[in-house]
Amino acid sequence: MNHKEMEKKLRREARALLEQGKVGYIIGFEAGSLKFTTTPLITSDTGDISRLVVNPFIANNLSVYLAGVKGRVGIVVKGCDSRSIVSLLQDNKIAREDIVILGVPCSGLIDLGKVEELVGKERDELDDIARDGDRVVVTDNGNNSEFPIHEVLYDNCLGCEFPTPQEYDILLGEPTLPAGDRYQAVSLMKIKQLKDMPAQQRWEFWRNEFDRCIRCYACRNICPACFCQRCFVEESEPQWLLPVPRWQDNLMFQVIRNIHVAGRCTDCGGCERACPVNIPLRSLTREMYGIIAELFHYKPGMDKDTAPFLAAYEATDTEDFVR
Amino acid sequence: MIPATEKVKINKKDVAKLLGEWSGEFTVLVPSRDEGVVKWARWDGEDASFLDWYRNTIVPPKAIFLPPMEEMFGFQKDKASYRIELPVSSERKQLIFGIRPCDAKALAILDMNFSDAYEDPYYLAKRKRGVLIGLGCANPYDSCFCTSLDSSPNDATNVDVMLTDIGDEFLVEVITNQGRELVAKTSLVQVAAETDEVRAEEAKEAAYGRVARKIDTGSIKEKLLSCFEDKDYWEEVAAKCISCGICTFLCPTCYCFDISDELVKNQGERFRSWDSCAFPLYTKMPMENPRQQKWRRLRQKVCHKYGFYPINFEVIACTGCGRCIRLCPVNWDITQILGNLPTKEQLTPEKC
Amino acid sequence: MPDYEPKFLALCCNWCSYAGADLAGVSRVQMPPGFRVIRVMCSSRVKPEWIIRALMSGLDGVLVLGCHPGDCHYQTGNYYARRRMAITKRFLEYMGVEPQRVQLSWVSASEGQKFAQVITEVTKDIKGIGPNRLFTDESQRNGKETAP
Repeated sequence: MNHKEMEKKLRREARALLEQGKVGYIIGFEAGSLKFTTTPLITSDTGDISRLVVNPFIANNLSVYLAGVKGRVGIVVKGCDSRSIVSLLQDNKIAREDIVILGVPCSGLIDLGKVEELVGKERDELDDIARDGDRVVVTDNGNNSEFPIHEVLYDNCLGCEFPTPQEYDILLGEPTLPAGDRYQAVSLMKIKQLKDMPAQQRWEFWRNEFDRCIRCYACRNICPACFCQRCFVEESEPQWLLPVPRWQDNLMFQVIRNIHVAGRCTDCGGCERACPVNIPLRSLTREMYGIIAELFHYKPGMDKDTAPFLAAYEATDTEDFVR
Repeated sequence: MIPATEKVKINKKDVAKLLGEWSGEFTVLVPSRDEGVVKWARWDGEDASFLDWYRNTIVPPKAIFLPPMEEMFGFQKDKASYRIELPVSSERKQLIFGIRPCDAKALAILDMNFSDAYEDPYYLAKRKRGVLIGLGCANPYDSCFCTSLDSSPNDATNVDVMLTDIGDEFLVEVITNQGRELVAKTSLVQVAAETDEVRAEEAKEAAYGRVARKIDTGSIKEKLLSCFEDKDYWEEVAAKCISCGICTFLCPTCYCFDISDELVKNQGERFRSWDSCAFPLYTKMPMENPRQQKWRRLRQKVCHKYGFYPINFEVIACTGCGRCIRLCPVNWDITQILGNLPTKEQLTPEKC
Repeated sequence: MPDYEPKFLALCCNWCSYAGADLAGVSRVQMPPGFRVIRVMCSSRVKPEWIIRALMSGLDGVLVLGCHPGDCHYQTGNYYARRRMAITKRFLEYMGVEPQRVQLSWVSASEGQKFAQVITEVTKDIKGIGPNRLFTDESQRNGKETAP
């Protein structure tokens, strides 16, 4: 997949959309102010279009910005993000005619955390990180190190079943084929390790992780599925959880949040990326995703005309667990 | 402050022994790694290997003096009234080893806030029993910008002792009387030669030069005041912000907190915990919420630090630690905003 | 482990399971006394926040009771409840909460015996896994009441 070609096409299409008045805004990515980062670009100015980029660091799920948008927008999405858009359509949160979806067939995003750990240096100390087919080449002080993609892409990218956007108006490149089962085991390794632990040990693991949580709510705010005007944690009559970052409240915040977004979370990994204290949130969201797939054969964000998961039922839904 | 007339040095290999010596009187806090997260924690008594990889912590040392959550008191219903029980706090002194200049300097803002109109007993008690051993930066991040804010990677403001990396050793500069006492007690330091002092000066200059990110603080507060009413401008500035609390929680000069009570039948506790002006409900009151819109909150955040604080207290409430840039999930960058403030001529005539 | 009497919440829907519970009472069927009934209009009224809150405040379990599928007074409520409870239960188990602590059962208005049976079985299940100590801090493990 050629990023440069997709970038050229994106800029052409985005400029046309703005100039022809088909959209009022473009939401895409531009180069970030730090090395190997990108940042959302939300603009109505055709002069800004040349700043749009497509590269292995376009991590954010931009559909989070759709909930508050006025008028028509053009939005750049990868496979997982386009499913978030479908999910929002299912929730009647946005109207299909209000968005022009510019789809990026994605071949995976590079996890800077994994790169830093493999190379033993931090992001700002490296010269270059580039994707080359099945490998990622990291240049540090003139020296190149190569890593196979399954060591440096995000876990959720490795397990991605739908890298090409399902719902789009303009596809910016040739569709990407999913990697199939090739990297599923790696992608789910953390979750498997947890499931292999006895229940008590698992609880202690999560209790330990959530001791670090500072309740910044970045996980919630970056999530497109979390669009409640008033989140349940902000209720005080009754008060479900203390606003104080005790591990008990932190842990249960995440449990309830996951149940609330169940069937709408598309495993984009945004929550885990946003967390400043490295809590492995994807090990929670992906497990919920897996539970729903296993019990109900439902994959979020595939069909905009289906009712949302928790607002629907089948007469044949599982009864195994009922007393 | 006493003039730093005595210069001594310590071999890096002896730092662990020094921490061991100090552990007799102090609880020693050092940078440590937990699941890849660099934070302040009790020294494990083993070694000083953190010196190999330490640049700066994710959560700033303000968390030691103003913790993310703190019990203010417990209360017990006692017939018609309540009996208050103050938490048992440690009297043991704390030694924070390796605090960076930006974080130490930032404590001045917190000190001002917690001792000005009202003396906050919780914060001040901890501050009083804290000793700060500063460690000058040799390897600043690309997000650091302390040099633009009247500071440097080796600024010794608010520390008791300042260490500068000169290769195999640290140059040790005594800054306060307390620092002098600490250094006087140990036999692990040697007198620094002039060549050591020269090396230290060179190291400081080199580190200063390595801070690539800069802002021009010249006319920021004037520009902020003049564009204050420009709603379009601030909406554009705020567009990609997601209103989480990362920048404010991880900022060493931010001090806002919330108070909540936890009641179980007839007893409970009152907690203080971090709060953020970026949260939508921060200014919610029964009748209205003056900062319901995101652009108003962003405007307030920027103006508080770079406008109102300079106007009211003649100091910018920022020391350029760069955490807000480094850890923002959408890479919102304050230095870009400050570097692109509109001049009067560029403002739109619309008022908000 | 010393004997303890499990204390759990029984969330009963107004039309079927609450009536069933009532019938069990009127029929003088013996049941262990550790359950506390809260009546809701429909089992689909039950939110995950309630279940979490119950566990956090120290209750040993939560039992949700509703009408049999197809018999919901509001036609479809219990179907939604079934989905919601399925994922809530599975997810909590993944976190490390014992599966016996959160359960769902269908009890109709005429099933007084079944109500008593379910209560007895759930009590036995929860008794077997011990009191809920999930949310206690180290400092509180010596018996001080857990703050919610």
